[in-house]
Amino acid sequence: MGRIGRFIDERLDVSPLVRAFLDRRMPGNIGWFHTLGSATLFLIVVQIVTGIALSLSYVPSPDHAYQSVLFIDQTPFGALVRAIHHWAAGLIVLLMGLHILRVFIWGAHRYPRELTWMIGAGLFFVVLGFAFTGYLLPWDQKAYWATVVGTNIAGSAPFVGGAILEALRGGEQLGAVTLARFYGIHIWVLPAALLLLVGMHLFAIVRQGIAASPRRRPLVESEPGLSRREAYAIEYAAEKRAGKPFWEAILKDATVAAVLTVVLLALALGPGAPLEPQADPNITNYVPRPEWYFLDLFQLLWYFTGNLEPLLIFLTFTLASLIFIFVPFLDRGRHRHPRQRPVAMGLTAVVVVGVLGLTYLGASASPPGVVRVPPTEGMSGPELGGLQVYNEQGCSACHQILGIGGQAGPDLSRAGRRIEEADMRRQIVTPQNDEMPAYDGLSQQQLDDLVEFLKSLR
Amino acid sequence: MDEHRVPGRSSSDPVDPGATTSSPGGGDLAADETAQARAELSRRNFVLRALAFIGGGIAAVLGIPVIGFSSAPGWQAKAPIRLLSTSIVPTLRSSALTSVGRVADFEVGAPQFVKVDRPIVDGWVAENAPVGVHVVRTSETDVAVFDPHCTHLGCPLAWSTGSRSFVCPCHGGSFNSDGDVIAGPPPSPMVRYEVQVQDGEVFVGALQEGA
Repeated sequence: MGRIGRFIDERLDVSPLVRAFLDRRMPGNIGWFHTLGSATLFLIVVQIVTGIALSLSYVPSPDHAYQSVLFIDQTPFGALVRAIHHWAAGLIVLLMGLHILRVFIWGAHRYPRELTWMIGAGLFFVVLGFAFTGYLLPWDQKAYWATVVGTNIAGSAPFVGGAILEALRGGEQLGAVTLARFYGIHIWVLPAALLLLVGMHLFAIVRQGIAASPRRRPLVESEPGLSRREAYAIEYAAEKRAGKPFWEAILKDATVAAVLTVVLLALALGPGAPLEPQADPNITNYVPRPEWYFLDLFQLLWYFTGNLEPLLIFLTFTLASLIFIFVPFLDRGRHRHPRQRPVAMGLTAVVVVGVLGLTYLGASASPPGVVRVPPTEGMSGPELGGLQVYNEQGCSACHQILGIGGQAGPDLSRAGRRIEEADMRRQIVTPQNDEMPAYDGLSQQQLDDLVEFLKSLR
Repeated sequence: MDEHRVPGRSSSDPVDPGATTSSPGGGDLAADETAQARAELSRRNFVLRALAFIGGGIAAVLGIPVIGFSSAPGWQAKAPIRLLSTSIVPTLRSSALTSVGRVADFEVGAPQFVKVDRPIVDGWVAENAPVGVHVVRTSETDVAVFDPHCTHLGCPLAWSTGSRSFVCPCHGGSFNSDGDVIAGPPPSPMVRYEVQVQDGEVFVGALQEGA
């Protein structure tokens, strides 16, 4: 400790606090997976610092927002700071997801850390709120259309949906009021909530000590007659005796933070932060797609149809959120080791596969209405003619061939194998269902070619 | 309480006021101390309750205007309160009558996308701003004008000449030239504008929402 340190300590007597913090013992089997939480915290600090810097040159108004972002990009280091803010936002969602998964698999949400989990769940929603409000701010096409869709999804809640939607947009329309509100929420409301929750989360972690990694057999056998608290205290004390001091673990956290800094710089200097053309509410050929971490939810909306859709969306999201928040009270039981919790681990695997699958489908789905099916080698003259008719008539608005096209109608990838020629002709000219328009204006040649093309799909 | 504490944890709890009541010793002195401690404890409870009352009062007096102001667009919402809430198109609203061209400019059954400057009010901004609409001539004399946003989640609708439908690029919703849903998840037809035809000229008025 240097002279300044001694000067401060003589007056404030802080060294016992620092020593108690650094030297407190923690369970031994704390590894790299345990750095996910501190990595998320590190990125949050990065976001606060870069966000404050960006706010110095940003104006939250439709007249100026986009131009002020262009100005930021032209200012020295501006593009770099904006790109770091952009990529760290995505990484937070990713690392937070992995952190949640780690905690659940390790069983660290169990007694006595249920509150820490629930505060963390709150943090998860705050971070998603940051992402949602943040990407309106550049006021580019993606910003505008993602917010149109996002506010409409929020508006699907029963009874209060309209009120929520208009509270978010600041009225029915999406414009100057919306941008000002989103900015205020992004830089004041959510940071306040974030700091409060992070403070509570860290307080709980330091107060209780980090959860020991689960063992199939506890270090000390529990004696009968002890209360849950007593049994836990004895067990945790044994873990700490077999453990190591806290300062030993910080090295791993610091290493991860350093690696993340390199990754952030690489992403920021490489791809940089995207910026689409300025928001144009009056464009009809734009294809809205959300940021990758909302793709799963976006894709999920394909599967809800009918009049009850808004209600189903709301119930699904609400139920999923409630299960997530209260999972410590659902997943109880004596054993914490993942191998002793087959049901919980099975359900976790289903959720992970579901999220990854939906994200993949959302990322790879080509938008309907704007795509053409390319010709393949070896197609005959009539088949090529049929393909041309298929593309001219916009069939891929609703139908898919080998992954190209919409999903409203049946997939035609194997139409030649599945549908009889006579049925094809009848369905095209006089469709049996209301959904498909009748293509009765085709010439005989066009119809023959189209059928020839469809028959070749096997 | 101590025996329930996790070993090794620092004891930083505030001093338990009840502890003074069990101080060793006896006689009148002890009884006096106990009485004094009790009085102090009851005063402590009183002070804490008073603090909660004062704090709650301040929070309410300041919180009502702050939260009321912040959430005003919510409780002033024009959207009807119902079980199945619907999406609201993001278009900048205008109630002025604006010409979008002459009936003769449009071909029957061939929708056209038209952008016209309309006087809009957007919070504190009042200006002429471009607003895009789909104009569909339905007969020799009649014209329908639609807002170009999907009623599912508000994505932009483009007219696809091939499939003769308005197609939504988000979740595959499609509408025919009357604005009725023909496929996909949209819960309601496309939102129409009020239309007036005067001497062959087509004027659009307000959005006919919830109609």
